[in-house]
Amino acid sequence: MAQKVAVLMRKAPYGSVYTAEGLRSIMGIGVFELDISVIFVDDGVYALVKGQNPAALDMKPLGDSFPMLSEFGVTRFYVHEPSLRERGLTPADLVMEAELLDDEGVARALKESGVILPF
Amino acid sequence: MKIGVLILEGPYQHEAADTAYHFIKAALARGHQISGVFLYTDGVNNANGYIKPPGERNIAQRFSELAGQGIDVIACTACARFRGFRPDMLAENVKLGGLGALAEYIREADRFVTFGD
Repeated sequence: MAQKVAVLMRKAPYGSVYTAEGLRSIMGIGVFELDISVIFVDDGVYALVKGQNPAALDMKPLGDSFPMLSEFGVTRFYVHEPSLRERGLTPADLVMEAELLDDEGVARALKESGVILPF
Repeated sequence: MKIGVLILEGPYQHEAADTAYHFIKAALARGHQISGVFLYTDGVNNANGYIKPPGERNIAQRFSELAGQGIDVIACTACARFRGFRPDMLAENVKLGGLGALAEYIREADRFVTFGD
């Protein structure tokens, strides 16, 4: 049985390298028979917001890459709903459909994963 | 038990690399095995063989020593390129590698621990 890995996205997408590297790590390890889920919490939910344009920062937009992770066999995406709400966002603001979780749901998703990679 | 380690922070700025090192030493002392140590993002800077801290602990030397004891210590090739590493800069016994190595350390490990901020 494939090892379960939860990639935890905690940070806003352009203020640090974490979101970009979290994304790269999923593409890098996703091809090696690991059962990966992606969980967005806190400012990490901004990574999924539609219409990101970091051109003024001379950086590449990240949001549209997440729906394409299905090509790497990654299909389980979770968003911490209170984090969305606290930032005035709704699921309609996101680039993809993701399962909404409350605090207990996130705790459960993390517990179900043998390995957590926090970015 | 077999433990895999991921390090996301560089040397000296924060304590993550120190904590990772002490964790690994303690795990080995208790008879555990290390499936591998993957140095990712700024973590690759822990493998800069030119680190020469006057009168202070040498963090690169520590990881070099672990690798010399037969523990896999791999620094992310792409991350090293992003940070200006040249081939001669890598601390002794540490190797460059891709994310496949990280996947392998995760797969082989009973527990996997990340050190970062």
